[in-house]
Amino acid sequence: MIVEGRGTADPVLSCTDLRIEIGGNPVVDGTTLAIAAGETLALVGESGCGKSMTALGLIRLLPDAARQSGGQITLEGARIDKLSERQMNRLRGDRLAMIFQEPVASLDPLMPVGRQIAEALGRASETSSTDVDARVQDMLVRVGIDRPEVRARQYPFQLSGGMCQRVMIAMAMIRRPMLLIADEPTTALDVTIQKQILDLMSDLRRETGSAVLLITHDMGVVSESADRVAVMYAGRIVEAGAVTQVFAEPRHPYTAMLLRTIPRLDGPRKVALPAISGAVPDIRDWPQGCRFHPRCPLATDRCRIEAPPLAQVEPGHDTACWHHDRIATELT
Amino acid sequence: MTPPIVSVRDLKVHFPIRSGLLGRVTDHVRAVDGVSFDLMPGKTVAIVGESGSGKSTTGYAVMGMQEPTAGQILIDGRDRTQMSANERMATMRRLQIVFQDPASALNPRMSAAESISEPLQIHRIGTARDRRERAMELLDLVGLPHSAAGKLPREFSGGQKQRIVIARALALEPQAVICDEAVSALDVSIQSQILNLLLDLQSRLGLAYIFISHDLSVVRHIADHILVMQAGKVVEQAATDEIFNAPKDTYTRQLLEAVPKL
Ligand SMILES: Nc1ncnc2c1ncn2[C@@H]1O[C@H](COP(=O)(O)OP(=O)(O)OP(=O)(O)O)[C@@H](O)[C@H]1O
Ligand SMILES: Nc1ncnc2c1ncn2[C@@H]1O[C@H](COP(=O)(O)OP(=O)(O)OP(=O)(O)O)[C@@H](O)[C@H]1O
Ligand code: SF4
Ligand SMILES: [Mg+2]
Ligand SMILES: [Mg+2]
Repeated sequence: MIVEGRGTADPVLSCTDLRIEIGGNPVVDGTTLAIAAGETLALVGESGCGKSMTALGLIRLLPDAARQSGGQITLEGARIDKLSERQMNRLRGDRLAMIFQEPVASLDPLMPVGRQIAEALGRASETSSTDVDARVQDMLVRVGIDRPEVRARQYPFQLSGGMCQRVMIAMAMIRRPMLLIADEPTTALDVTIQKQILDLMSDLRRETGSAVLLITHDMGVVSESADRVAVMYAGRIVEAGAVTQVFAEPRHPYTAMLLRTIPRLDGPRKVALPAISGAVPDIRDWPQGCRFHPRCPLATDRCRIEAPPLAQVEPGHDTACWHHDRIATELT
Repeated sequence: MTPPIVSVRDLKVHFPIRSGLLGRVTDHVRAVDGVSFDLMPGKTVAIVGESGSGKSTTGYAVMGMQEPTAGQILIDGRDRTQMSANERMATMRRLQIVFQDPASALNPRMSAAESISEPLQIHRIGTARDRRERAMELLDLVGLPHSAAGKLPREFSGGQKQRIVIARALALEPQAVICDEAVSALDVSIQSQILNLLLDLQSRLGLAYIFISHDLSVVRHIADHILVMQAGKVVEQAATDEIFNAPKDTYTRQLLEAVPKL
């Protein structure tokens, strides 16, 4: 029941049985995952299921309300969940980078964006200020921002939503991190820029062998840029495997239904889309047994009582569902 | 023939670029540079295009939240600049906007019912009791239970918050709603619920939408007419089928090719 990376012998990042609590409620409830060098793992799932908390927990930037209550986190073979705040800060400075979900809120409104990118480069670079300017402007161009000399001097409010997001991406990528965690990095971007950013991330992966954890709700992005995908529901990973396998033959009802709700370029227009009825349950009253059971068309009595473990259904493909063999016939 | 609800004629919005110690204006960002389109009752016009191409700025100008540098915006055939203060107030009721981020659109200290009925209060419509009843109707309309009325924003998920924002936008019975990336931040299963809601409201209430989005499969699903923008200009506009089946402009083709395939 381990979500294994291709090169599991030596993953860049792994966590085992990670648990995160907010006010005594487990928002991340026993997550195990690993990402190999040069690999992209996508984390998908409904709003509020715990994706951002997982990401923030991995790099130990949880909000005050939340705390890690169990599990181990390993970066390049060394435990990091016991490091001091100072050691952790150093590590974040040169090995890890995160692109946050809310770009505008994460930028300093009172500082020109060019300076914010230069500061992300940090003191690590012993270069002259003209070199820094050149690198900043080069990075702006690489994230698809024209007239970088003008843009570098502007403040966040003078940029469009998508430009702020790209400034965040530039800040994360300029240091060439070993591990890049990108939380909805392309949500506000049009498809051509999105493609450019995703290509840039795969260049980074190729050039430096970085590992990427990509959080997104865009299944198109997952299918085009991730190697493996982990699907989360109500604090737990319910399915994981190679993207091609999971998309071709989902083995969890939630994944199967999620894939059906997406409007398709070849589908009918202006008609109701298939939707998953109901909403993600509140963390304070997660259902007993399988947490998806109130919304699951395949649910039986067993599902209402006993939580299914994440178990292998074929090599490299895991699911947490008692009735995964009924999906292909009953849910398509 | 019914007149368009909104008619945009050669709209331009330019922002000054200042530089040097004195902050002299050395250049302009031509955020919107000659945009024209009509929005008919009950129809959906989508605006797609590059990030920074002027989509939001166009929406703000239509709403009257951004002063045009040049061009005209007609609401029901009347030029906004020619309107009296009263008329302008009335057009405010007819047009509403829903933004991408529902969290920042709601006051964290107001209950759902208070947020939804606030526009009625601002416009001094009905008694407190009428407003409360109207809030309940609106909760029904957007598919939220009455038990949601007394809850605060932090007690809702992103998708539920967006429903509250939509209910609030509908409080004044607008004819048109501008949706600026209104479903982009929502995950797919909630996105499909909100899209279904928008389509349902359109067929029941005859709402018109200006739908700003970068997601072409969503746009194809909901729009009747599409404007493709690049650097402040409309490079192509046509009926949805035409844009998807026979795109003429090279940028439109690039956009279509860049859509990630499932
Ligand atoms: N600061 C906080 N205080 C209290 N609860 C929080 C806080 N931040 C998040 N939560 C709760 O923790 C749970 C997990 O949140 P998380 O942000 O990880 O969701 P997510 O999967 O990233 O969702 P989205 O797709 O909407 O970003 C949610 O139920 C959320 O309401
Ligand atoms: N207040 C402002 N001052 C200066 N420039 C501005 C201001 N508001 C917007 N701009 C500029 O106007 C242009 C258009 O911005 P707008 O927000 O309309 O783009 P958009 O198409 O909505 O992009 P996105 O898809 O990224 O949201 C951008 O170049 C932006 O930097
Ligand atoms: S375990 Fe039962 S309720 Fe849970 S997803 Fe599988 S069939 Fe549905
Ligand atoms: Mg999140
Ligand atoms: Mg915008």
